[in-house]
Amino acid sequence: MNQLLRRFASIVETVAAICLAVVTILIFVSALGRYLFSAPIPDAFDISRLLLGLAIAWGYAVLGYRGGHICVDLLVEALPERPRRALEVIAQAILLIFTFALAWKLFDRVISAYNSTEATSDLRFPVWPFIGGIWLGVAAAVLTTLAGLILMISGGPLQRNDPEDDVYE
Amino acid sequence: MSESDLVAIAGFVALFGLMAIRVPVGIAMGIVGIAGFAQITGWGPALNQLAISPLRTITDYNTSLIPMFILMGVFATRSGISSELFGAGRAWLGHLRGGLALATIAACSGFAAISGSSVATAATMSKVALPEMRKAGYPDTLATGVIAGGGTLGILIPPSVVLAIYAYITEQDVGQLFIAGVVPGLIAVLIYMGVVMFMARDASPGEKIGIAERMRALRGIWPVMLLFIAIIGGIYIGVVTPTEAAAAGAFLTWLIGALRGRLGWRETRASLVEALRTAVAIYTILIGAMLFSYFLAVTQAPQKITAWLTGLDLGAYPTLALILIFFLAMGCILDAMAMIILLVPIVFPVVTQLGFDPIWFGIIVVMTVELGLITPPIGMNVFVINAVIRDAKLTTIFRGVMPFVVADIVRLVVLVALPALTLWLPRTMG
Amino acid sequence: DTELRLSHWLPPQHALQTTGFEPWIESIGEASDGKITFQIFPAQQLGSATDHYDIARDGIADVTYVAPSYQPGRFPIISLAEHPFKVTQAKSGSAAFNDWYQQYAAEEMPDVKVCMAFMQDPGTLHTVEEVRLPGDLNGKNIRPAQATMASMVAMLGGASVQVPAPEAREVIARGAAEGIIFPWDSIYLFGIDAETKYHIDFPLYTTVFVMAMNQARYDGMPEDERAVIDAHCTSEWAERLASGWAEREESGREKMLSDSSHTVYEPTPEDITAWQDATAPLMDQWRQQVSAKGADPAAIEQSFVDHMSAAGALFEN
Ligand code: NA
Ligand code: NA
Repeated sequence: MNQLLRRFASIVETVAAICLAVVTILIFVSALGRYLFSAPIPDAFDISRLLLGLAIAWGYAVLGYRGGHICVDLLVEALPERPRRALEVIAQAILLIFTFALAWKLFDRVISAYNSTEATSDLRFPVWPFIGGIWLGVAAAVLTTLAGLILMISGGPLQRNDPEDDVYE
Repeated sequence: MSESDLVAIAGFVALFGLMAIRVPVGIAMGIVGIAGFAQITGWGPALNQLAISPLRTITDYNTSLIPMFILMGVFATRSGISSELFGAGRAWLGHLRGGLALATIAACSGFAAISGSSVATAATMSKVALPEMRKAGYPDTLATGVIAGGGTLGILIPPSVVLAIYAYITEQDVGQLFIAGVVPGLIAVLIYMGVVMFMARDASPGEKIGIAERMRALRGIWPVMLLFIAIIGGIYIGVVTPTEAAAAGAFLTWLIGALRGRLGWRETRASLVEALRTAVAIYTILIGAMLFSYFLAVTQAPQKITAWLTGLDLGAYPTLALILIFFLAMGCILDAMAMIILLVPIVFPVVTQLGFDPIWFGIIVVMTVELGLITPPIGMNVFVINAVIRDAKLTTIFRGVMPFVVADIVRLVVLVALPALTLWLPRTMG
Repeated sequence: DTELRLSHWLPPQHALQTTGFEPWIESIGEASDGKITFQIFPAQQLGSATDHYDIARDGIADVTYVAPSYQPGRFPIISLAEHPFKVTQAKSGSAAFNDWYQQYAAEEMPDVKVCMAFMQDPGTLHTVEEVRLPGDLNGKNIRPAQATMASMVAMLGGASVQVPAPEAREVIARGAAEGIIFPWDSIYLFGIDAETKYHIDFPLYTTVFVMAMNQARYDGMPEDERAVIDAHCTSEWAERLASGWAEREESGREKMLSDSSHTVYEPTPEDITAWQDATAPLMDQWRQQVSAKGADPAAIEQSFVDHMSAAGALFEN
C-alpha cells in the first residue's frame, strides 16, 4: 500500500507542479501581450489565481503524507526517542483534525459556488469547477494525512515517505 | 481586563503550546484562530471562517508572486549559479586577506538577488563556500559566521518572500518595498565586508588571479545578473508589476538554464516540485496567519494595544524603540516569517499612527527579524549551517556570527536615524 | 441587548464610515435606547472585501458592506445599475434604487437580509491623453472600476489593468495604464489628478452596494429591537448613507471643471449616442444572464427606468 501511495503522491505532485508552471507562463505571456500588443490573454488574472489555488491544495495533499510543513523543532529535538515519537504522532493527529475540518467546510463553498453562478470576469467561465478541484485536493489531504498518521504509529518518520526518493531517483 | 482580553492571551499561550509540540506553525495559528474566534462568536461563524478565508488566501492574485520568485531561485540554484557566484567572487576577491570570506559575502549578495529566502541563501552557500574555506584553513568561527550573516541578505535584497508577505498583510505596495530594500542591502554588504576584513586581519592573503581568468569567472553569472537588473529595474521604472516581474524572472531563468543545458525535463520537473513544496509550506502559514488575525481583530486586542502604547505618550521614537526591542527579544526564539505574520498586524497600527512611513517600517522590521535568524538560542541560519556541517558546534557558529550581529545592530540604528537612506530610492519611482 | 459586528473593507477615515455608517449606528443606538450597539471592523479586519456577502450569510459579522460586482455573475439583477449611462446622481438615486432592488432582493440574495441597497456617485473616464469617442479607447490600458467596466474596456479594444485603487496612481505614472474609470473626487483623493488631465463629463457608470445582515441574527432579536433595525433599513436611510460620499465625489467634478490644468470634455448628444451604441452589447449580455437565472429582464429594466425617472435620477440623452 505504501508503494501505491508514493506513486500516487508523485503523480499528484507532478501535476500540481505543472499547474505552477502554467500559471507562470500564463502571467508572463499575458504581460507580454499587454505591453507589446495591448492584448492580454482574457481571464489571465482569474485563471492564474484559481489554478495556483489548485496547485497549492494538491501540494498540501502530498505534504500531509510526506511531512515538510514549517515546524518549531527545538523542544521536540531535545527529547529522547519515545516521547518525541509520541509528540510527533499527536502533532500529525492535530494536522489531521484541522485538515478534516477544512475539507468539511470547503465542501459548503463548492455547493455555494455551484449555486451562485459566480464566473470569471472576462470569459464568464463558471468558478465552481476550480473550487471543486481545490476541495478534491483538500479531501485527498485528509486521506494522505491519515495514511501518514497510520505509518507513523506503525513505523518510521514521515520524511521516509518522500515520493522523490524511490520513484524518480 | 475584559473576557476578550483573556481569550486573546489564552490564544497566544495555546499557540506557543501547540508550536512547541511540533504542530506545524500555520496549522497551530489556524486552530487557535478558529477556536479563539469561536469563543467570541460561537462555533458556527468560526467554522464558516474556515470555508471562506483559506480559499481566498490560496486564490489571491496578490500572493502569486511568492511561488514564482521561489521558482526563479530554484531554477537558478539547479543551474549551478551558487558555485559560479562563489567562483567569481573568489577570482576577484580571493587574493585579499580573508579573501574567501569576502567572496562568500559577494556570492551571498548575488544569490540574494535571485532568491527570496535567507535560509536558502545560507543553506546553498554552506554547501559551496564552507568546504573551500575549511580547506584554506579558515577557523570555523569565521567560515560559518560569514555564511550565517551573509545569508540574512536573502530577505533584504529583493526579491524577498518576507517583504512580499509584509506587503500582503499591511496592504502596501510590494514594488516599493522591494526597491526600498536595495540601498539597505548594499549598505549591509559593505559593512559585512568590513567586518570580515577586521576578523581576518591576521590571515595570510591568497593568490592573485590574472584578468583573463577573472573575466572567465564572470561568464557563468552574467546572464542571471543581467536578468536581476532587468527585473528590479523593470519594477523600478514601472514597466512591469512585481507579479509580472516574478513570472518573467522564473520563465527567463529557466530559459537561461535550459539553453546552457542545465535544465532538462528531469531537472525542470524537480525544480517545479521543489518550488511547489516551499510554496505550500508558506501558504499554510499564510492561511493560519489570516485565521489568527481575524481572531485577534474580533478580540480587539490590536486596537487596545495601540491605544495603550500611544496612551503612554512616550513620543514616537521611544515607542518605536520599545517595539523594536520587543521584536529583537522575540527574534531570539521565533522564526522570521512567523514574527512578521504574528506581530506586524499588532504593531502596524501603532507605527502608522505615530506617523512613521509604512514602507520604511517594513524594511526596519525585516532587518530586525532578520537579526533573529542569527541570534541564539534559535537562529534558523545557524541551524541550517549546522545541519550541513555536522561537526561544527552550534556554539562555534553563534560565536562566529556575533560580529555580524553587532554590525547589524549598528546598521539598524543608522537606518532608523536616517529614514532617507531607505526611502530615497522608492520615492524616485514612477 | 444586542451588540452587532459591522464589517467593511474601507479605511476607517473613509467618508462612508464618517458620514454614513457612524450616523446610522448612532441613530440606531438612540432609537433603541442604547440597547443595540455596534463594533465596527474596517479595512478587511474580518475578511476579504470580495467575501463580504458570505461573511454576513455565515454570521462571521452581523452586518456587512457588500460590493456585489466583486463576484461577477453571482448577482446579475443588481448589476443593471452598473451598466453605462443608467443614473445621474446617487442621492435620490440611491433611495429609488433601494425601492427598486428590494423587489428582487429576496430572490437574488436569499441567504441574507438585504437591509438596503445604495450606490456611489456616477464616475467617468479619466485619461492621460484625450478620449472623446469609444474608438479612442482602442489599444489603451485602463484601470476599470468594476466588472462591467472591465468588459466594456475589452469590448472597445482596450485592456484592463487589475490593480487595487491605492496602486492606480503609480501604474498610470509609470505608463502601465493610460487611464482609469473612477469617481470624480477619488481622482484627487488618490493623487491621480497629477497624471490624468483629460476627463469626459458624463455619468458613464456607478458601483452599487448592499448593507447585508445575517438573517438568523435579525430573526433572533427581540421585537422592539427588530423594529428599530427595520426603521433603519429604509430608502431614506439608503439616501442618507450615500449622500455624504456622493457630495464629496460631486465636489471633485466642480473642482475639476474650475481647474485650468484639467480638460473636461463636454460630449455632444451625438457623441453620447456613439458611446451608447458601442456599449449596447453589454446590455444584451445582461439580459441573457438575468434570463438564465429565470427572471424577466424586460420587466426588471422597465421597473428600474420607472423608479429612477420618478426620482429624477435617470440618465436621458
Ligand atoms: Na532576496
Ligand atoms: Na534567534
